[in-house]
This record gives sequence, C-alpha cells and structure tokens, in this order.
Amino acid sequence: MDFVQNFPFFSIMLSMFSGTVCSVLPRKAAKWVNTIVISVVSVLSLILLVYLIGKKESYVYMMGHFPAPWGNEIRAGVLEAGMALFFCVIMLLSMLGGRKKLHDEVVESKHNMYYILVNLLLSSLLALVYTNDLFTAYVFVEINTIAACGLIMIRQNGRTIEAAVRYMIMSLLGSGLLLLGICMLYDLTGHLLMSNIRESVHMIMEDGTYRVPLLVTITLISVGLAIKSALFPFHGWLPDAYGYSTVSSAAILSSLVSKGYIFLLIKIIYRVLGFDVFGMSHIIDVLFAFGLMGMVFGSLNAIEENDIRRMIAFSSVAQIGYIYMGIGMGTQAGMTASVFHILSHAATKSLLFIAAIGLTDVSGGSRHFIDLTGAAYRNKWAGVTFTVGSLSMVGVPMFSGFISKLLFAQAAVQNHVKMLPALIVLAVSTVLNAIYFMKTVIRIYTPAQEDKYESITFKDMKSYVLALVCFIILNVILGISSQPIVDLIEQGLSMFA
Amino acid sequence: MSYFILLPIVFPVLSGIFLLVRGEMKSRKNLLAVTGGLLVITALLAVLALAFGRGEMLLLFDLTQTLPVLFKIDDMGMVFAVVAVLVFVCAGFFSFEYMKHEAHERRYYGFYLIVFGILMALCFAGNLVTFYLFFEILTLSSMTLVLHSGSKEAVMAGLKYLFYSLCGAYMVLFGFYFLSHYANTLSFSEGSVLNPDLTAGHTGLLCAAAFAMILGFSVKAGMFPMHAWLTAAHPAAPAPASAVLSAVIVKAGVLGIIRVVYYLFGASFLRDGWVQRVWMVLALVTIFMGSLLAYREPVLKKRLAYSTVSQVSYILYGLAVMDGDALAGGVLHVICHSLVKAVLFLCAGALIYRTGKTRVDELRGVGKEMPCLMWCYTIAALGLIGIPPTGGFISKWYLAAGSLSSGIPGFSWIGPAVLLVSALLTAGYLLPIAICGFLPGDDFDYGKLVKKEPGGLMLAPILLLTVLSVLIGLFPNAVLDFIRQFSAGIL
Amino acid sequence: MKESMMLMVILLPVAAGILVPLLPFKKRKHMEIFLETMVVLNSLLVWGVLLEFPEEAFTLTKFTGNLTISFKVDGMSMVFAGLISALWPFATLYAFEYMAKEEREKTFFAFYTMTYGVTLGIALAGNMLTMYFFYELLTLVTVPLVMHTLSREAILASRKYLYYSLGGAAFAFISLIFITIYGTTTDFIFGGVLDPEKIGGRTNALLLVYVMAFVGFGVKAAICPFNSWLPQAGVAPTPVTALLHAVAVVKSGAFAILRLTFFSFGTEFLKGTWAQSVVMALTMFTIVYGCSRAVKETHLKRRLAYSTISNLSYILFGATLMTPLGMAGALSHMVFHAVMKIASFFCAGAVIHQTDRQYVHELNGLGYKMPCVFGIFTLSSLGLMGVPGLAGFISKWNLASAAVESGNPLACGGIACLLVSALLTAIYMLTIVVRAFFPGKDFDDSGVCGIKDPSWKMLLPLFVFSIFIVVFGLYSAPFVKFFQDVANGLH
Repeated sequence: MDFVQNFPFFSIMLSMFSGTVCSVLPRKAAKWVNTIVISVVSVLSLILLVYLIGKKESYVYMMGHFPAPWGNEIRAGVLEAGMALFFCVIMLLSMLGGRKKLHDEVVESKHNMYYILVNLLLSSLLALVYTNDLFTAYVFVEINTIAACGLIMIRQNGRTIEAAVRYMIMSLLGSGLLLLGICMLYDLTGHLLMSNIRESVHMIMEDGTYRVPLLVTITLISVGLAIKSALFPFHGWLPDAYGYSTVSSAAILSSLVSKGYIFLLIKIIYRVLGFDVFGMSHIIDVLFAFGLMGMVFGSLNAIEENDIRRMIAFSSVAQIGYIYMGIGMGTQAGMTASVFHILSHAATKSLLFIAAIGLTDVSGGSRHFIDLTGAAYRNKWAGVTFTVGSLSMVGVPMFSGFISKLLFAQAAVQNHVKMLPALIVLAVSTVLNAIYFMKTVIRIYTPAQEDKYESITFKDMKSYVLALVCFIILNVILGISSQPIVDLIEQGLSMFA
Repeated sequence: MSYFILLPIVFPVLSGIFLLVRGEMKSRKNLLAVTGGLLVITALLAVLALAFGRGEMLLLFDLTQTLPVLFKIDDMGMVFAVVAVLVFVCAGFFSFEYMKHEAHERRYYGFYLIVFGILMALCFAGNLVTFYLFFEILTLSSMTLVLHSGSKEAVMAGLKYLFYSLCGAYMVLFGFYFLSHYANTLSFSEGSVLNPDLTAGHTGLLCAAAFAMILGFSVKAGMFPMHAWLTAAHPAAPAPASAVLSAVIVKAGVLGIIRVVYYLFGASFLRDGWVQRVWMVLALVTIFMGSLLAYREPVLKKRLAYSTVSQVSYILYGLAVMDGDALAGGVLHVICHSLVKAVLFLCAGALIYRTGKTRVDELRGVGKEMPCLMWCYTIAALGLIGIPPTGGFISKWYLAAGSLSSGIPGFSWIGPAVLLVSALLTAGYLLPIAICGFLPGDDFDYGKLVKKEPGGLMLAPILLLTVLSVLIGLFPNAVLDFIRQFSAGIL
Repeated sequence: MKESMMLMVILLPVAAGILVPLLPFKKRKHMEIFLETMVVLNSLLVWGVLLEFPEEAFTLTKFTGNLTISFKVDGMSMVFAGLISALWPFATLYAFEYMAKEEREKTFFAFYTMTYGVTLGIALAGNMLTMYFFYELLTLVTVPLVMHTLSREAILASRKYLYYSLGGAAFAFISLIFITIYGTTTDFIFGGVLDPEKIGGRTNALLLVYVMAFVGFGVKAAICPFNSWLPQAGVAPTPVTALLHAVAVVKSGAFAILRLTFFSFGTEFLKGTWAQSVVMALTMFTIVYGCSRAVKETHLKRRLAYSTISNLSYILFGATLMTPLGMAGALSHMVFHAVMKIASFFCAGAVIHQTDRQYVHELNGLGYKMPCVFGIFTLSSLGLMGVPGLAGFISKWNLASAAVESGNPLACGGIACLLVSALLTAIYMLTIVVRAFFPGKDFDDSGVCGIKDPSWKMLLPLFVFSIFIVVFGLYSAPFVKFFQDVANGLH
C-alpha cells in the first residue's frame, strides 16, 4: 500500500483535531492553524488526485482491522479527491475574503469558536466525500448540520438565530428522512458498506422482491438530501440562512455544505443504489421536475428581491435546480453536467457573496439596491468581480457558467422526452438570470447622485482583493480549460460504478 | 454615337440645378432673361433631337447586370415629346408674367426646368427601368411645383400627390419584379417581350402583374379609384404649373400604360382578358364621374382638374379597347387634350391674376373685360367638348368608332354612350362660363367694367396654343396618318 | 502568420479601448489622434487580411469537446468585416465632434472602440461557438454605450436591451447545442453541416430549434415582437445609435441568422418546411409593422429606429427565401442599408448637435439653414425609399427578384410587403424633408437664425456616405456579383 493512500484519513483527522486544538489557542493562532490546516488538506488532496489520475482506479482504505462487511471503510477515487481539493480551495478563499467582515460582525470571544466550527465542517465534508459507509455518512451529515448551524448563528442577532432555528428544523427533518432511508436499506440488505449494499440491491432487483420498500427507501433518501440541499420546494430555510449570516459562512454554506449533500446523493445513486435502479424509479422524474421548477421560481423570487444578499441566495435555489435537473435527466452526460455545475456554481456563488459584501460595505452596510447605486466605483475590485460572477451566472462564454449550461444542454438533447422542457426552461432561466444579475450590475455601475459613502482603496483590502482575484482566476480556468476537468469528472464517475 | 439624345434631358436638368444653387440674381429681369434663354435652348435641343434622332438608341450604363439605362427615340415617344415641348415653352413664358405675384421665383424656375428635362427623359426612355427611374424622379421634382406657394393647403396637396404617385409607382414596381423574371428583355419593343417558355402556366400571375402596372401608372393619369390627388394638387399649384401638370405630366402615366400594354406585355396577351375588362370599366367610370364632379364644382381650377380626370380617361379608354382606331383616337386625344387643357388652365390663371376671382359664379361679364382671353377659352372649351372643327372632335370620333368596331360585347356601345353623356356634361360645365362671361344678363351693371386684358406675355402663349388646337382639328390627317402608321405596328 | 492577423484585428481595438481611460492624455486632441490612428490602422489591417484571404482557420483555444474558438475568412465575413471596417473610421471621426458636448468621453470612446473589435470577432468567427461568444460580448460592451447619459430613461433602455439580447442569445444557444449534436462539425460550411443520419426522425424538433434560434438571433435584428428595445435604445448618443443600432449590432443579428440558415442548418434541410413559412411570415410582418410605427413616431431618432426595424427584416426576408439569390439580396441590403441608415442617423445627430431639436415638428425650415445636412438627409431618404439610381433600389431589386425567382407563394406576399413598406418609408422620410425645406408661408424665420451646418468632422463622413449611396446605386454590378458569388458558396 502506498503511503499516499493514507491521505484521506489524514485529512479528515487533521481537520477534526485541529478544530479541537483551536479551542485552546489564542485567537490569532487559531486563525493561522485554521488557514494552515485547510491549505495542508488541499495539498494532500492534490497529491492524492495526481496519484489517482496516474493509477487510473479507485481504492478502498480499511479503517481499523475489521475487513468488510464489518469494518468501516474509506474509498477514494479521482472524483472524491478532486472534490475534496475543490472544497478546500473554495473554503480557503471564502475565509480569506470574509475574514475582515468576520472580525467586524462577530464578537471577539466567538472567533475561536468560528474556526472550530469551520474545521469541523471541513472534516465532516471530507468524511462525506470519502466515506464508503452509509452510517458514517449519516454521522457526518449530523456533524455537518451542527457546524453549519453554528456558522449561521455565530453572528448573533435576531435574524440569524431565527434563520439558524429554521435551518436546524429543516435540516433535521432531512437527516431524519435520510436516517429512515438508511435504516430501511439496512433492513433490506443487511449491510452498511456501500459496495455490499449495491450487490444486495442488485439481487433484490433481480428477484423482483421488495420493490415497494426499495422505492420508499429511494424516496426517503432523495427527499432527505433534497431538503438539506434546498431543492425547490424545500428551500424555505435558505434565503435567511444565506442572507443574514456572516459572509464567509454564507459563501461556505452555499457553495460547500449544500454541495456536499448533493455529492452524497450522487454517491448513493452510483455506489449504493446503482445508476440503473435509480434511473428506473420515478423519483428521478420528480427530481427533474422539481429541478425545473426551482430554476424558474428561484429566479423569479430573486427578481423580486431588493436585498442583494437575499437575491444571491435565491439565485442559489435556481442553481441547485440546475443540478437536480442534470441528475434527473438520468443520463451519464446529465450527471457529468451536474457534477461540473457543482464546481462551477460553488466557485461562482462564493465569489458573488464575497464580492457583494465588498459592495455593501461601501454603501453604508445597506444591502438594498437603492443604496448600492454606484458601489462599483467605490470598490472597484468588488465591482469587477461581481460583474464577472454575474456574467458567469448568465452563461457568457469564457466563464464557468457557460460550460455548465453547455453541458446541461448537450445532455438534454440526448434524452428525447426531457429534451424540450429542459432546453426551454434552460433558456428561460438564462433570461431570468440575466434580468436580476444584469439589473444589479447596471445598478452598481450607475454613478450615485451624491457622494454619500466613502470609497475604499486597494491598501485597505489586500487580502480581500487577493481572494477576489483568485476567485476570478478559478472561474476563468473552469470556463476556458474545462475539457480536462470534464474528462476527470467522467473518469471519476466511471470509477464510481 | 447618339449622345445628342441626352442633350434635351441633361441640359435643362443642369440649368435647373444651376438656377437653384446660385444666389439671387441682380434683378428679376435677369432671372427672366436667363430662364427664357434656357427654355428656348432646351426647346431647340429637343427639336434637334427629335429631328435627327428618330430611331436612335443610346445605352448609357448598366444599373445592374440586367438593368441597363437605355434611351431610344421612337414614334410614340416623339408624339409625347412634341406636346411636352410645346406646352412647357408656352406655359414657361406665361409664367414670366404670372409669377410676379408669387414668392421664390428662382426656385420655381429651377424646378420647372428640371421637370422639363425629366419629362423629356421619360419620353425618350428605351426600357422599363429607365422609364421607372425617371417616373419616380418626375414625381419628386414636380411635387415641388405643387408645394410652391407653401401654404398649408399646398403642402398637404403636395404630400398627397407624392404619396399617391409613389403608391402607383410601387404598384408598377410590383409588376416590374415579376415581369423581369418572365421577359426576354425589358426594352420597349413592338409586340410582346414575354418569354413563352417561362410564362407557360403563369398567365394568371402575369395578368395580375400587368394589372398592377396599369393601375400603378393610372394613378398618375388620375384614373378612378386613385384620382383624388389630382383635384387637390392641380388647383394648389401656380396656374402655369397646373397647366403643365394637367396637360403633360398626367400624360406620363398615359405613356407608361402605353409602354406596358403595347410595348411589353403586348396587346395580344391582354386582349379579351379580365384585365382589359376591368380596365375599361374603371376608365368609363372615371370619364363619367370626372365630368359629373366637374359639373358640380364651383371653383374654376378645381373644375378644370376634374375635367382632366375625365378627359385623360378618354385616352385610357381608347387604349383599353386595343383597337386600331381607338388607339389612334387615344393618341390624338393626348395631343388635343394637352393643348386645350393647357389653354384652359392658362386662361384660368390669367383670370385669377387679373381679377383675383377663383369661383365660377364670380366671372359674370369677364368676356367684356378681356374678350381676347375669353375667346381663346371658348374655343378651347369647344375643343374639349368635341365640337367640329376642333381636334377634340376628331379624336373622340375615332375613339367612338374604334369602340364600336372592336366588337367587345357590351362595351362596344356602352363606351360611346358614356363618351357622349360625358361630352354633354363637359359642355355643361365649360360653356356657362363663356356664356356668362360674354352675356352677363340684363341686370348686369356694365358701368363697372374696365378693360383688363392681360399683357402680351400672357396672351401670346395662350393664343399660340389655341391656334394649334384649331389647326389640328382642321388638318388632322398629317398627324393622324403618322399615328395610324406606327400604331398599326404595335397592335 | 496570416492567420494570426485575424486575432490581431480583433484584439487591437479592444486593447486601444482599454488604453483610452488609462493613458494620461494632456489634451482632448491627443486622444482623438490616438483613437483615429488606431481605428484607421485597424481598418487597414482588416482590409489587408481580407485581401490576403487566409485559407486556413485559426484556432485560438479549445473549449470542451469539439468546441473551439476559431476564426476564418470567407465571403460572408468579407462582406461584414469590410462593411464594418469601412464605416468605423468615419463614425469615429463623427463621434469626436458629437461627443464634445457630452460628459465622460473617455469611457464612451473606450467601449466604442472595443465594440469595433468585438464586431469584427463576429464577422471573422469560424464556427458557431465563436460567433456566439462574440455575440454575447457585443451585448456587454454596448450596454455602457446605451446607458451613457445615465438618465433614468437611458438606464431603463439599457436594461431592456440587455435582457432582450441575452434572452435572445439564450434561445440561440439551443441551436448551438443541436448543431454540436446533430451536425458533423460546428464550423461554418456553406450548405449546412447537419448530418442526415443523426437526425433520423427528429426533423420537427430541429425545425423548432431553428425557429427558436432565428427568433433568438432575431432579437438583435429587432424582429417583431422583440423589437421594442431598439427604439428605446435611441437615447444613446447618436454615434452609437447610428453605428451600432443601425449597423454593427443589429446587422450582426442579421449576420448570425444568415450564418445559421445557410452555413449551419443549410437551406436544403429548411427549404419548403413549415419553419421557413413561419420565419418568413414573421419577417414580412415586421417589415410592415416597423414602417407603420415609424410613420406614427414623432421623435426623429426613434422614427429612424423603427425604420431600421423594418429594413432589418428586409435582410431577414432575403435570408428566409433560402435561395442563393435571396442571400445575395440580403447581403446587398445589409451593406447598402448600412450606408443609407448611418447617413440619415448622422444627419439626425447633426441636427441634435447643432440645435438640440429632437422632434420632427421642430425641424420646420431647417433645410435652408443646414443645406448640406438636409441635402444628404434627402438623398438617404430617397435611397431608403428605393428610388432608382440610389443604393436602396438595387438591394430591393435583388430581394424582390429573388422572391419572384424562388416561386414561393408567400414570397410574392413578401414583395407586396416590401412595396407597402417603401410607400410608408416615403411617408415618414419625405414629410421630414418637406418640413425642412417648405416650412410654410407664415413661417417665422427668427426661431432658426444662427443655425448652421456642423464642422468638417461631421460633414466629411456624411459626404462620404452620400457618395457611397450614389455609387452603389449607379455602379453596383461588381458588388452584386460578389454577393452572388458569396451566396453561391464560391468564396
């Protein structure tokens, strides 16, 4: 066994224990530990990714000394490693971009707490990504929920607490359903390890027995994860949670947490249920329909919004709709598109949140459009970045959003039945995206009548600008040289099977 | 090379532009001298071209590969050109006196010369493209004559004229597009230019195209239902301009129809088809309606305009019959009507100029005030009614004879009947003016009368045209033979 | 090397545009010199590239799958790139004078110059993706130009423009996907790239996609019912409305549709299907609709914008005929209309610049005060109407004869639409001319005293364009020949 194969385990453990360590460190040190740990994990993931690309197959890593089907396992393939790397990078950039704001908004005594939660979140995300065991997955889903709640709540005001409670309730509902699903699966198959379950599920399918319970299981798992990842119409908790929490939380929540659940769902679809079994159930059509509705209604809600943060939050609902539409297409191409969109949306949405905070800061902290007039002149970097993010969302070539749109559309054409609705909704949602994002861009580039607010200069926001620039680069890389990434995703998905 | 054909076209246009762009002249006298000189030179050039250019052809250049700009002097064009030159020169000299009471004289003369040149180009056009080209320019340039006074009424009339004419032009263009696809050539040639191989099976389409073109050109000729512009535009223009408009510019429409029917589609293609029938009906309706409206019209110039509507449709009817006699009568009526209508309008102009009276009922006793003018008016009126020995009699005779001999069921006798009724109406609307003018009645106060005979510059052109119209009636054979000779070729 | 020049001509203006706000120009004059040099230099380069005619495509990057950003010169791109590069230097010159009064010039010129490069990108695009990319970019770089004045009106207009354009592109995007899936390649190949084997029984789906893409790209070409952004965008400074909303932007919509129809889907696949009828009917309706709205409109620039809407659909109508002749007609109207419309817009801009008058009824009597501007306006009006001898006639002739030749019954209706629209064009253009030159008898001169023609920077482009209008009208054969060769796939 190569040493590299230990890396997933190291990453999870490292982030988990560093979280614990953070609680006793002074504030500054905690910050550094946090940054370093995330960086180290990214490096580890990168090495693992390179290793796996070279190896061309995934491997299973046994935790402890019990072999399957009793022991706990970690499994790493190209997709897992890539996803872990990507999550780390986004998290790092989000922390970097939101740090200043964090210091302003959160009371000083809570800073350590924040870093603990972030580290915990990271470890749970990594575990979700790597685990090969359904129950472990469930455990980390719960850890994830708790950490996320903390991230929302840490900026203590009425709004965030309300939002956190909402999030908690919805999330626990989702986890509950997921748990029920897992229990039923365990009942049906007698296993918790993914590969073993899949074999049993295949047998069940061949027997023709337990069809209905299996369908119920699929439903429970899908709906549970859909609630957690805010698929329309289960998105009620989202706007407040994203809209009022501190900005790095919002960025992390929108681009990582919900994506982690979606990734888990994809993993379950491939590794637990089997792509065909899932495809044959009608749940897939329901997800497809919800996805389409989310694309339209999320955008419509966003158009109505007068608050830039909430607008971006609603846009997330639409984007998650895209991802579910891709999953619901039931084709390999659709799945590839969805996974790509996980990346592209994560990159874009966190960028938008971080850029938006730069704009609101120079508008007296107000998030209403009326006050944002001319904000892009006061904070030039944030203005440019926001524009880039908007263009990407609208799907202008050269940015990541275009590629996901392209992949979705190509996938749609392959499915004769779902082609027309998918394409038309895709086009309509592009128009809607254009409406609210471009409205904002025009607004921030309209010079204000009076100079109410101060401008901010480059000197005062070096780390912020660094984060923005990295985000833009990330976005453009996804937009221009998407082919290798798409290849990797396809390779990773085939390793799943 | 026969570039000299271009002289009577290019020279007046250039001299008109020259008048327009150069500044004010020192005195009115200079302006008149220059204009008079230019008019005479143009007329001479035209005569020269007509004398030596008969049958000459000139290919100027190609607009596109299939659209050459081609000039050719053929017999039909010559007839129209002669009339145009006569009327233009006479009305031009008339306006030297008349235009005294209007502003912007320089602009008037400039456009007058341009219109003159364009009209010559129209007469000499050798194919449909060239004809269409100058037809549009004629509309645009003659519009300025209508607009001249600048009153709100005149501007509205000018725009009305413009839009009606363009509407007609575009109908022509509609047919033109189709024709160009199915024809061998677009040059005017005796007989049909249609390519029998291509037209097979598309006769209906081509009939529609022909009808659109006839209707389009008939807008200019004031045929029902597109005649409304004429009665607005002609009275609004200064009198010499209305003379030109009524006498020769409406004839451009007639020439267009002749070209389309006899030189492009060919009479044989259209004869006995629905196009001919509808056309005849429209022409007859116009003849009758025009006369009737003229009869009811109290304003002199408007009455004359309605009369033009009616009389030009005599010509159109003659063309529609597609019979040798009727065609000859029609072409002869082109000449007669031009001369006579020019006289009538110039007389009306002189009356307005000298007395300021525009309504018919104000004209009692004018025969005593200006006998010479009113005699000219009376003779011209007789010509228009068609009383021998005037030219009008001859042309109407041939029209009726042609109609009777054509043997078209129904129309062969309805036509002459309508012509006759209309002649009666013509007498009804023209002669009372003369009668009241000379015989104002017992209760008329003769004491108020003063001699108001217009000056020689006004009277001479009127006299000249009157004499010519009488001469044509007395010695029609020379002209008629010429017309019959070439019209035999195109039937 | 030759190939990479294509990239160069796109990047140079973009770079120049970015440099404008960054370079510290001491005087306004320096910026003018810098920009004009860059633009002229780029135009020369473009002509160099076009004449060198690089055979090979130049691939810049690979996106995903077989989607690349690549450039290629073929006949179509020669027409469009040639047109753009001929007009841009003059328009820039005009803009210097016009913008002297406005604020935030540097931003304006930055985007104005960048647009040049982006438009060239559309012209030189070698495949669907590249064209789509530059198409989207074009929207983005022109939005700041529309909202330049930053008035509430301007911002609303620019938003609308943005939504419409991006929305249209979203639908056009679907066709890009279909071409990647059902075509052999996404490159532009004359005759289309669809692979019959892959299509199988999904013809109707593809036709539906074609219609969607036609309408999607048609948004930029202001096809009804997606035209309302264009008149609203008229709030932009005139150089923008003239060059972008009469030429570059809107023509790129038409260009994209030509590409889509002739080079991606291919006429063989589309001809005679319901899709053809649908899009043709749509263009016919827009032709008439645009003109009618123009007649109703009293704001000068908006009137011209409506006129543009109608004229753009002429081009699209040519495209929907789906014959080589139709495409030649479309190309010729693309070029000729560009020259005429930019001339009339520049005249409108000159009026606004000199007098601040924006409404048609305020133009009374300006003709004598600004003879050059209104003279050229008259010329361009006549050209737009389609008076023979001017550019408009040739392109309309080509379109209409293509329609006749296509033998499609609907196309005959299209000819009628063309002519109705020509008549309406006459109405809405010539009323302005008449107002300007014939203000009426009781017109008070004091309101317009002190107004005069603008300086040479504005007049030079106008004169150049008017020369073009006449030259294209009289000597179009080589151009039309070239368009026909392009339409037959020879270049």
